[in-house]
Amino acid sequence: GPRHPGAGTMLPLLILLLAAAHGLRESVTYEPTLAQGDLGGRITGSTFVLEQPRCAFNNSTIQTTTSIWLVVADAAASVSFTNSVQPGMPEWAFQSFPANTSAYLTLNATLLNYPCPKDPKEITVLRVGSETSCAKETSRPTCNGPLPSPGTYKVKFLALNGFEPVAETKWSKPIELKTARQPPSGPGAGGKHSADMIAITSILSILLAVLLAGLVATLAFCGSDPCGRGGIFKPEVASVRRYTTHHVYDQTVGGL
Amino acid sequence: MAKTENGVRIFQGLLILGNVVIGMCGIALTAECIYFVSDPHGLYPLLEATENDDIYAAAWIGIFVGFALLALSILGIIAVIKSNRTLLLVYIILMLITFAFEMASCITAATHRDFLTPNLFLKQMLERYQKPDAGNNNDKWMSEGVTKTWDKLMLQNQCCGVQGPSDWQEYTSAFRMTHSDADFPWPHNCCVLDSRGSPINLDGCKLGVPGFYKSNGCYAAISGPMNRQAWGVAWFGFAILCWTFFVLLGTMFYWSRIEY
Repeated sequence: GPRHPGAGTMLPLLILLLAAAHGLRESVTYEPTLAQGDLGGRITGSTFVLEQPRCAFNNSTIQTTTSIWLVVADAAASVSFTNSVQPGMPEWAFQSFPANTSAYLTLNATLLNYPCPKDPKEITVLRVGSETSCAKETSRPTCNGPLPSPGTYKVKFLALNGFEPVAETKWSKPIELKTARQPPSGPGAGGKHSADMIAITSILSILLAVLLAGLVATLAFCGSDPCGRGGIFKPEVASVRRYTTHHVYDQTVGGL
Repeated sequence: MAKTENGVRIFQGLLILGNVVIGMCGIALTAECIYFVSDPHGLYPLLEATENDDIYAAAWIGIFVGFALLALSILGIIAVIKSNRTLLLVYIILMLITFAFEMASCITAATHRDFLTPNLFLKQMLERYQKPDAGNNNDKWMSEGVTKTWDKLMLQNQCCGVQGPSDWQEYTSAFRMTHSDADFPWPHNCCVLDSRGSPINLDGCKLGVPGFYKSNGCYAAISGPMNRQAWGVAWFGFAILCWTFFVLLGTMFYWSRIEY
């Protein structure tokens, strides 16, 4: 039968309306990750370090003038972006996080800051939480301030043309910061004695005991008179004896 | 009779030899303990702040025991040559007193060594390093001592923390109260410094990039000298006492067989 005259124009019109509603926003497959490599400060009590989103927006249509923002959100929160995202407004301000808003925008950059491909020898990172000077200044809503608690966070990169979102990456896996604990209690003194200390103590005690016993015995038995049947040690007496022997011997020889 | 006399002479010779060795060991003990007491590594403030500096007390006792051993060994040699009962008895009793003192020194040094664990220094560092003014004079003195000693340790030994820079992240500390985690994940003395004393790359240090911060712990630099001191005093003293034991036994035997 005859086709409805409006059907041919309605479909393209519907697509156009839908496109306008979502702002042609592109979903990029890149997932933000923590920095690779051997970094001692990858996660601290109030900061963390991300890999830069190099080659993340490779296949997308964003231009070099597009702003690429970092969205930091509470991991449990659900964050959605309408047609208009204004980074300066209180609902996206760092100072409102986390009390009055569940996400904030910071670390504004462009594609020129993230050239692709990346030089493998370079350390290409973003430190989230490094700006302490503006943390309390509401006049700097895009401050990259230190995170207020160790609670779990998630991040994504959002590309804005003016106030209109044009592309976004995936959410990162949840990031948990370090919680400091109390210094360890008691050094364990008195609980553990090494074998060396026990050996020294016991052997020396035995030696001293033997010496004291020996002294007491010597004084008791040999105090007034010398002990022992054998030689009585008196070097002068011995030499007198030798002299006497010589004399007797000479006389005997002389007598013959 | 000649045989007895030879035996006497040999025994006297042995006792004199024993005393000579004791005298020399006494000098060595005094020298060793003076070296330890002079604190060449500058670690004494750390012990002072634990309010237990027994290994230093043991070293002090060692200095005086060493002198006593030298003096008594000379007395012993004279007494053996003269075979004088009174002198020998005086020698034996004084030696026993010295023996007791040196025994106390050895046991103290060995016991205190067991007290010096990594956790002790970790707790002390976290509680006292850069602690803001507390008011109490003694407390302030100890905190300043600890801070200066740690700064010197980190500079001279290229190390940070007791087990590593992570100590500053894992535990709360007095330092953390006055220095924010974002600006100071660890003290700036943990960064590799240039000749003027400032970090060569502060951002690299805060990130924890190897080469810009010191990733070793300082425990080895602390425990090494302290162990050497404790074992030096304890085991050398023990060796001297073992030798002295035999010399004293011999002297008592000799004493029991001479006439007045």
